[in-house]
Amino acid sequence: MSIATFVLRRLARGVLTIWFAVTVTFLLLRLLPGDPALAVASPNMTEAARAALLEQYGLDKPLIVQYGLYLVQLVQGNLGVSFTQSVPVLDVLMQRLPWTLLLTGTALVATVLVGVPLGVIAASKRGTVADRAVQVIGVVGQSLFVPSVGVLLLYTFGLVLGWLPIGGAYDTGTYGNEWYLSVLSHLVLPATSLVLIQLGSYVLTMRSTLIDALGEDYTTLAHANGLPARRVLWKHALRNALLPTTTLIGLQLGFLVGGAVLTETVFAYPGIGRGIYEAVTQLDFPVLQGAFLMLAATVVVVNMITDVIYGFLDPRVKTA
Amino acid sequence: MSADKTLGGAGTVPLSAAEAMTSTTAEPVADENGRASAATWRAFRREPLGLLAGGLLALLVFVAIAAPLLSPYPASFGENVLRPPGGGEWFGTDALGRSVYAEVVWGTQQSLLVAAAASLIAIAFGTLVAVVGAYFRSIDGFIGVVVDLTLSLPVLPLMILIAALVGPSTTTIILVVAAFSWPEVTRIVRSQALTVVNLPYVDAARLMTTSPVWIITKHVVPTVTPVIVVSVVVTASRAVLSAAGLAFLGLGDPTTWSWGRILYEAQQSGAMSSAWWLTLFPSLAILALVLSATLLSIAYNDARNPKSRRR
Amino acid sequence: MFRTSRIAAVAALAVSALALSACAPTAPEPSASASGGGGAGAASNETLTIATTTDVVNYNPLIGNSRSDYWITNLMYPHLLSIADDGSKEPQVATEWGYVDETTGFYEIRDDLTWSDGEKLTAEDVAWTMNAVKRDAPSGTFYGQLANFESAEAVSDTRVEITLTTADSSIVDEIGFWGNVVPKHVFEPAGSVAEFANDGSAGGWVSAGPYLLTDVQVGQSYTLERVEDYPLVEGGTPYSAEVVYRVFPDVNTEILALQSGEVDVIANSLPPAQVETLRNTPGIEVEEAVGLGYAHMTYNMTKPDLAKLEVRKALAHSVDYEAIRKVVLQDQAVSTGSSPLMPVLEDYYDDSIEEYEFDTDMARELMEEAGYTADAGGNFPVSFRLIYSLQDAVTSQWVTLVKDGAAEAGITIELQGTERNTYLAQTNAGDFDIYAGNFAIMDDPVTNMTLAYLPEGAINYTYVDDPELNELITTASSTTDKDEKVELMREAAAIVRDNVYDNIMYTQNLYFAHSDKWTGFVSKPSELLSIVNPISVASAHLK
Repeated sequence: MSIATFVLRRLARGVLTIWFAVTVTFLLLRLLPGDPALAVASPNMTEAARAALLEQYGLDKPLIVQYGLYLVQLVQGNLGVSFTQSVPVLDVLMQRLPWTLLLTGTALVATVLVGVPLGVIAASKRGTVADRAVQVIGVVGQSLFVPSVGVLLLYTFGLVLGWLPIGGAYDTGTYGNEWYLSVLSHLVLPATSLVLIQLGSYVLTMRSTLIDALGEDYTTLAHANGLPARRVLWKHALRNALLPTTTLIGLQLGFLVGGAVLTETVFAYPGIGRGIYEAVTQLDFPVLQGAFLMLAATVVVVNMITDVIYGFLDPRVKTA
Repeated sequence: MSADKTLGGAGTVPLSAAEAMTSTTAEPVADENGRASAATWRAFRREPLGLLAGGLLALLVFVAIAAPLLSPYPASFGENVLRPPGGGEWFGTDALGRSVYAEVVWGTQQSLLVAAAASLIAIAFGTLVAVVGAYFRSIDGFIGVVVDLTLSLPVLPLMILIAALVGPSTTTIILVVAAFSWPEVTRIVRSQALTVVNLPYVDAARLMTTSPVWIITKHVVPTVTPVIVVSVVVTASRAVLSAAGLAFLGLGDPTTWSWGRILYEAQQSGAMSSAWWLTLFPSLAILALVLSATLLSIAYNDARNPKSRRR
Repeated sequence: MFRTSRIAAVAALAVSALALSACAPTAPEPSASASGGGGAGAASNETLTIATTTDVVNYNPLIGNSRSDYWITNLMYPHLLSIADDGSKEPQVATEWGYVDETTGFYEIRDDLTWSDGEKLTAEDVAWTMNAVKRDAPSGTFYGQLANFESAEAVSDTRVEITLTTADSSIVDEIGFWGNVVPKHVFEPAGSVAEFANDGSAGGWVSAGPYLLTDVQVGQSYTLERVEDYPLVEGGTPYSAEVVYRVFPDVNTEILALQSGEVDVIANSLPPAQVETLRNTPGIEVEEAVGLGYAHMTYNMTKPDLAKLEVRKALAHSVDYEAIRKVVLQDQAVSTGSSPLMPVLEDYYDDSIEEYEFDTDMARELMEEAGYTADAGGNFPVSFRLIYSLQDAVTSQWVTLVKDGAAEAGITIELQGTERNTYLAQTNAGDFDIYAGNFAIMDDPVTNMTLAYLPEGAINYTYVDDPELNELITTASSTTDKDEKVELMREAAAIVRDNVYDNIMYTQNLYFAHSDKWTGFVSKPSELLSIVNPISVASAHLK
């Protein structure tokens, strides 16, 4: 397979993924109960006023026509106008998406930096107390209920100790370097809670793949050749074990961007997950459709990035 | 593993750990007979974490079944509001003066029900799709694409969307969680099933009978069973976290006690930081369930994998 | 080698995320409107930070009805009238108001108000706003008040006259209280007021209130700067130089932020169970705002079972109202005597109307009278579906008590709590047996009864059509004599109560928390006004 066809296939797949997400969202919104005219209007609205609103939103047309119009609109790069706010959907989303990317990106980097070494330790000391401790830490983190941890962190570090701010992404009225510091300090607690819940996946994936890799022939061979055990571990085995970890990153970022809604709620972080929740309560169809499109696009982009990293890490892919 | 299978390479967050383990230990286990399972059991018994987890899980199941013996059903209100644990109330009382202990005990029932039902549906459907796909290779490609596409959907936001539109109830929660869990199961089982259908003895069976159902039930299903067992446990425990998350956002069943509902009501009454007992006990219950389920599946996998068993 | 490439890749990811974020608001220094005190000694350089649980959805005050929208636009677009604790109206932009004749109303407005861009606020703005709302029918409360309104005219710079289609003795008060005044010179060029977003994208906002919105960070904060000249507050200048609304989706985080001093005020009313806790928390003070609305249940009379008076009575007698007020509302609510005329409406309240007694034996007898026979288990062969909104925390709690009470009387109630939109859809479609909900402000009995009990009323959730009641309400709405009006309303209230056309359960008083460093808040009725009404925000000051 040439590079060109490979790239083309990936792109086609990306487009397919985005189309799928958009279509699923579109159909769910229209086929499930819920009347967006009610969400924006006061309850004492006349039937005529309601019909007028529905017409204004284009919801009076047959489903297939609505869908066709929407796809045409999308191809032109137009995400539509928010029902409730009467402003372009892109504006609504772009105010939130960067914060989510910052939060989840930071959490991801921190998780990998902590999780991979822990996984290596667990695998190389298999069956020892250290291994079990690492497993338990990882699994406990995964099993925590985010809001409870969030309130505990806020109470401890925000209120009792007063080290870190409570809520928001930065303090208004800070500029320049002070602003960056403010952003950083607001990031610590929500990112920590995300690291806690993700850590387990990385630690356990790393551990189990390493255990497999350590058993594979070439590492046995490397042992026979007299290489020091530690070099074998870190170099050959680790290199292989990093592949699934890379894949995990690709998938987790996509998942996290939308899945951070509980974290964003408790920490009052202005991200897109919370934005989706609010759009749901307002039945703001265009914003919801746009948000799910963005999430799908994020997944696609991140997957393409991990593909490239994959190529770096695994020479076999190139020859495939 | 080729780059083309990236999406199939690892799971979404919830299942990734267990999945990574099952897929990397995905050796043909068609020949696993009584001796091998006995070996697995022996190895398993030597794993204290696994045994501990099993015990904890059994305890939770016991609480769910024996709830009527352990505590009366939570009253609709009580006189003493927001009392800390102590005196007659082990776990304190909530904003309406109800016993948190009774809520947690009865909540176990609902939480385990959601977990079990959601994972059973997801697994039944996911396995069916996987096994059929593995056997009828012509539609396998299509199934693979659908699974990958579904896996790339943002799960929690979609769950929120559906629960909000359909209206929260226990059934909704179960179906929503199941609807987004089956592709994960399909993928895990599929990779396992693929290794089986290509084995010589299945080919031989194909020659002997024309009934795919017979081959699937006789040869393929038994082989993928261990993988499914692990999947059940992990999917179930994850369902509890998802259900609690939805409940916390006000999208749970408001009329049945569940751990998520206790947390949601604590949040609504603004008592999460001042009345710690409202948050602590249901959170601990969730932790206990998810933790024990995950540890159990890890221990089981380790025990089943001869490679890690040798050490 | 491979490790460095991995780290490089991960770093690239992080950097791209960071870069994206950095594109966001690097917030250039605002021109520091350092005009510290505009003459009055009271003004300061302080910032008042207020917490809210939701974002602003609409900056156009004529659309939508969410809390944050109301609070923030209220600081920029004034109302003609304000409201007193007993529901009577007070001057705001209008200084005098009333009727010229049966179908003509008038408002005399202040001549010293100016929009922040220098234009004078005149009667023309007021009249244009009313006519535009009537024309474009934006989906807000304002439009709902205009049923009998035909047109408005600015007869001078300070006098507006409104023409009515029919005699309506409440409409001047109601339009004056619910309607905002928007700047004609900004809104008219934008076309329909029902579609104008007013999101500041065309060069910011224009305000005639104490503050002007200058910066919006969605999901996070709304910054408003002081308007130096605001004659409605003592001294003529608001105290705080800046008001920042911050968004905390979770009440618990909101409370933590108040305790840690990050915010000074919580705009949302406190959950009943938190009032005592916060009162006893050092550094926090709790203010009371009287309730001017009620919580109620209606029984859908289009359902055959509920069309029977005995059944409705049986249901009304199987609710433990005392327990609901004591436990769920922590004694922060008052009984209205099952009458739509709440005690807070002192002129109208009639203490001879008594609350339905909680008596499940009586309820059983009533069911038997209605012709139902209980089975061996003591249950009658009926089941009713009660709908409520899950976003309404207090109602969500008391419906359980309603269900348990009915069960004691052998009546099955099935609770159906749903997300707010589904609930509204069900309410509108009449898709329920029993409806539970509440209204924040029911300030004018005639208007409310018109909406709630006349056959065409928008909130007639009982689907009642009682000729005697209709007659009383329509007569009252064209009656200008106050005593006569009160008499008619009392008669109507007695009919509503005796026929269980509505089951009004309580008026909830609301509590609001703020930091004890601040004082001078002016509490107004309901959560809409509370201590974050324009006058209160402009007057609040450090101790």
